[in-house]
Amino acid sequence: MHISSLNLINYRNFKNVKLNFNKGINTVIGENASGKTNLFRALRLLLDNSMPRSSTKLSEGDFCRALGSWKGHWIIISCEFDDISSDEASQSLFLHGNGNIEGEEEMVTKATYNLIFRPKAHIRQAISTIPVGDTPALEEYLNDISTDDYETVLTGKSTANFADPEVYKAIVGDFDAVVFPNELNNPEIGIRLPYILNMPNEVSFTYIKALRDVVSDFHNNRTNPLLTLLKSKSGEISPEDFQPIAELIRTLNENIEGLNDVCDVRDDIASTVGDTVGDTYSPNSVSIRSSLTDDSDQLFQSLKLFVAESNDGYEGAIHEMSLGGANLLYLTLKILEFKYQNSNQSIANFLLIEEPEAHIHTHIQKSLFDNIKYENTQIIYSTHSSHISEVSNIRNMNIIGLVDGNCEVFQPAKGLTKEQSGFVQRYLDAIRSNLLFARSVILVEGDAEEILIPVLFKKSTGISLDEMGISLVNIRSTGFENIAMLFNDERIRKRCSIITDLDSAFFNTEIQEQDSEALKNKKRKAKGSEESGANRKLILDQFCDNNPWLSPFYAKHTFEVDFIKCSNSVYLKNVVENVYVDPATRVTAKEDLSKADIATSGMRALTMANHQGKGWFAITLGKAINFKVVIPEYILEAIKFAHVEFDSVLTFKILSYRFNSIKEHVAEGKKHIEKADADGDMNLKARCEAYLLPLETGIEVFAPKWDVFDSATDDINEIKASFIADFPTENHHLLERI
Amino acid sequence: MFVWNKDDLNDEQVDAIRQAGNVFLEACPGSGKTRTLTYKIALELSKLTDEKKWIVAITYTNRAADEIRERIELLGVETSQLWIGTIHSFCLEWIIKPYGLYHDRLKNGFKVINSYDSEDIITNICLGLRPQQYITYYQCSHFYTPTGLNITGSGGSLATSVLEAYHQHLDNNHQIDFEQILYFSYELLRNKVAISKILSNLFSYFFIDEYQDTKEIQYSIVASIMRANPSKVTTFIVGDPNQAIYTSLGGYAIAHTELESLTAASFASMSLDKNYRSSLKIIEYYRNYNVSPSATSAEGSERDYQSIITYDQVTHKDDLVEQVSRYIEHNIENFNIPERDICVIAPWWTHLAALTRNLVNRLPQYSFDGPGLVPFSRDLENFWYKLTRIILTEPSPSMYVKRLRWASEILYDLEIAMVDIAPFTSKELLKSINSISIDEEDGITYLCYFFDELFKRLGVEYSLYPMLQEHYESFLSSTEDRIDRLRRDSEEFATDIEAFRRAFKPRSGIKVSTIHGVKGGEYDAVISFGLLEGLVPNFNDSSEDSAKKLLYVIGSRARKNLHLISERGRMLGYSPNQTERTSTKALQRVQFPYDHFV
Repeated sequence: MHISSLNLINYRNFKNVKLNFNKGINTVIGENASGKTNLFRALRLLLDNSMPRSSTKLSEGDFCRALGSWKGHWIIISCEFDDISSDEASQSLFLHGNGNIEGEEEMVTKATYNLIFRPKAHIRQAISTIPVGDTPALEEYLNDISTDDYETVLTGKSTANFADPEVYKAIVGDFDAVVFPNELNNPEIGIRLPYILNMPNEVSFTYIKALRDVVSDFHNNRTNPLLTLLKSKSGEISPEDFQPIAELIRTLNENIEGLNDVCDVRDDIASTVGDTVGDTYSPNSVSIRSSLTDDSDQLFQSLKLFVAESNDGYEGAIHEMSLGGANLLYLTLKILEFKYQNSNQSIANFLLIEEPEAHIHTHIQKSLFDNIKYENTQIIYSTHSSHISEVSNIRNMNIIGLVDGNCEVFQPAKGLTKEQSGFVQRYLDAIRSNLLFARSVILVEGDAEEILIPVLFKKSTGISLDEMGISLVNIRSTGFENIAMLFNDERIRKRCSIITDLDSAFFNTEIQEQDSEALKNKKRKAKGSEESGANRKLILDQFCDNNPWLSPFYAKHTFEVDFIKCSNSVYLKNVVENVYVDPATRVTAKEDLSKADIATSGMRALTMANHQGKGWFAITLGKAINFKVVIPEYILEAIKFAHVEFDSVLTFKILSYRFNSIKEHVAEGKKHIEKADADGDMNLKARCEAYLLPLETGIEVFAPKWDVFDSATDDINEIKASFIADFPTENHHLLERI
Repeated sequence: MFVWNKDDLNDEQVDAIRQAGNVFLEACPGSGKTRTLTYKIALELSKLTDEKKWIVAITYTNRAADEIRERIELLGVETSQLWIGTIHSFCLEWIIKPYGLYHDRLKNGFKVINSYDSEDIITNICLGLRPQQYITYYQCSHFYTPTGLNITGSGGSLATSVLEAYHQHLDNNHQIDFEQILYFSYELLRNKVAISKILSNLFSYFFIDEYQDTKEIQYSIVASIMRANPSKVTTFIVGDPNQAIYTSLGGYAIAHTELESLTAASFASMSLDKNYRSSLKIIEYYRNYNVSPSATSAEGSERDYQSIITYDQVTHKDDLVEQVSRYIEHNIENFNIPERDICVIAPWWTHLAALTRNLVNRLPQYSFDGPGLVPFSRDLENFWYKLTRIILTEPSPSMYVKRLRWASEILYDLEIAMVDIAPFTSKELLKSINSISIDEEDGITYLCYFFDELFKRLGVEYSLYPMLQEHYESFLSSTEDRIDRLRRDSEEFATDIEAFRRAFKPRSGIKVSTIHGVKGGEYDAVISFGLLEGLVPNFNDSSEDSAKKLLYVIGSRARKNLHLISERGRMLGYSPNQTERTSTKALQRVQFPYDHFV
């Protein structure tokens, strides 16, 4: 038996999510603060018998904030079990409370188990009598409600699909339209569990929390996992085994008490008391007793674990261990605890491990994941480590992500065939599995794009793609569809831009008779590329069509050509020296690059890239790029699609960055002028001054406006507009588009 | 494993207990049936190794269930895996509550109404038909069989339509009555095979006490659970076919072969036929009323007692008090029989209520325990009655376990009423009850104040919960009705809170009871009147067998002396067409050398 799904409605940061689980190992991945711990808490409320009974009484803070006012709403934590065998007697009590009798055969095929926190019956009754549409009456009534008016019910045998907002409305009510159900008992939410069934007692459930302060856990008797293990064994010690030890302790106690020094102290106490208060008032006898315990439970508490971490054979106490070592040990002991428990008669076994990656070395993480496999046990990990997600099966994966400020859960492999998900699985190495954590994704297929797009963006905005939560993934020659299929309504509901080349020819491909054979070949090849590029576009457009999460963006020609095309030739010229050694070639190259005709300049850019190797060339170019670089249109659009909206905070940051860059740029320019002046190069000086003048004027005009600008109250678009106006010589393509 | 003392049980009883597999046990009066059942349950409980299994025992009354549970606890056997109660509680707990959502009439919630309300609703429907049509509640008596409604009243098609209206009324109000608890449970088991399957995996043993009063539908419920898993559930059923006195409600003593075919299992047929209670003379006498052959031998200490058995057909009903008093005095004074070992039995409650109060006046030196002395309605299933029972019993160490059990019943009922009971435990509830003190003399007012105070402390507004409110009204109105009736008979009838409290004090004195209420009891001297046609047998089941079984029950209660009265002067019908009721025919047919009472 295993948990097949978990539905969280209005619980903590989850407004309405559904997680799917499979037999065996499952992974829940998500960035920090995405709610992984809340999710585990929900499961623990249902199944963990180490949770206090009172914890199922929820509080105001457990309501999802996205609800607005929680009053009147319900929290539902609903879980479904699969792999039920209705013949097995040990499961009967569970089936009695939770088994859904369904279908033609009227047999139990699945089971459900829900925790529902809802207003008490008389409150629901009262709400149901409020006239349809009477919002003021509803608000007035709800206003006085507190969580004291709420009850927690545990039910089984539910049939409602709580994930469907319409179902929620039908069961709980429609707060907007003010329509509430008349029947107080909707059979779809199932039926209360009988008293005799306490689910946490039926299953074995171990929760291993994120390893943060392991050493202090070892010091606390309540949380020390070693003690728990020993306790479970201390009851099993036979009296024959323990008797000799108890004897030894007794002898030991007597020996200590008999030490001369101890006896002296005792006698001195007795005599001093007598001397001080007189015999009448002094105690009749005084003794000093050694109290080493001979109780097996207490004796076990004195046992401590010592571990040798290094080769020198020195065994250290826990607090002497490396953090990683202590964590590993803690994890191991907890797993052993689970194994002990597992051997009890329980109808199902669950092991929840929260962020095993905290402080544990990468390669151990991998083997940990591979090795923790137990029969008949469902394991659920939460992680934010791409290393663990790399080795986990995407078919058993849930991703928690923020979409428009709401927490949502995705199953990346939902609806994929085995081959498809197998492919994705193999493809997601440690780096690429980043795309599972990102808020949005840009897929590219070349090294140049992978290297330069982040640089372009960072240099022109001052913000890195990482800060934006955008993961840029180079899929190399894999074919976009294979990865992009993860992003759709059914699976990962995050935006994904695809950037690819259209490969349109940038020179005339008409074959002329006078053309050399080489040129003819080149033209034929270019024409062929153009055709296949157009075909690729056709297919990719169709693939992305009707998918709001996916959009393709095309470089008209190829990255280098499109880059130079948007007035970036200066950067290429600046790296000519790094690319070519031969002086003549350097001159020709610069000439070529200066040409307005991209047939020449573009060809040169390509030649340079190919000469150095595209990846290496990109690195070289990246170093040369500054804030004045122009991001090719299609790339900017791709970023915009992925990020959705550049809000005022972001715009403010960019503006601030660009303004500072201009100021630095001017300061830099001033130095050039001084140098030219010193060198006596008046021509250069004049050119520089002419270039800097509008910028300096711009700074003079803009600075006062900028100083008084208050990003909290003032209109960001207004200040942006004056920035653009005040620096007329600058290229504002980026600002104009955000 | 539980072991008993050698002297606790006789060989027959030990054989019955040791018998492996399903057992069908016929037990004659005084043969130690309850003791055997108790020991058998204790034995099976102690053998139970699977902590997720239950032993289920169905008794005829809640009182019997409590008694058996207490006896097992006294034997030192852990009862946490014992479920014992009436068939109605069984169905409610194990079928209706957990599986009700699979039944259209139950899935939206339900309230259980008690017999008083049921009678009230039907009576109102009947009254509504007048003056065009005349029908009474009794003409609408009915019960369910597996094939549906079976009307035993004489109302014919009019009764059918009254009951249709009645059931519609229940449906509209999300109510179910006791008969429906059984029928809906039966339907659930029939329509969802998985339920029987699951339950059969949960129960290791099924005990049925008093099978002779079990209805077909109850047999069917148990049988369908057994059939789901014949190898796992073992059944032990016990009773006495000669004492089947609930035939008008559908109860019957199933035959061994019928039981086997119904459950698709084989049962070892066994019997207990040693009577340890009565004298040989009494046994010989009541065996005249056998309807099912039985061999009974006298084995008890009173075996050779020179019993006095009298039959009086001359006393007029107006002289009954005098005559009964003389029997009582005679037994106490001449035979040294203690008060508590005397029982006065009659078929109808109404005749007893008046008689008891007159006996109290006539014999002020003796105490009595009987109807007509309790100021409020004893509706065992009413929530407020159950609560009253805890309120009016004094907390004491010996009562603690019992009161705690009652408190958990209260919580159970509160939950059915949809009250959120998560905040309290039965212990806390009991503590709250014990800590409340109310300064008020009048019984009803006292209780109302108490209820208010208790619910205030629990933070629950009971009037918001329809089931609690309905039970509240029903409890108060039936109690007021009753007090009115008693006041009409006797003006000095006490209605102060002390009188209320007495109702729950351990009983002492001469027992006054109906024939149905005396089931299982035993007394040195039994005095029975009302042995008249139309009463014994009752008009709604006028067969001679029915009369014989009632007489069998009366006779077999006595250890030593038996006094039977067919009084004169009880009239039948309305004037001017009244006729005098005649003595019970079955009684007259027996030729017996009765003793003369001097």
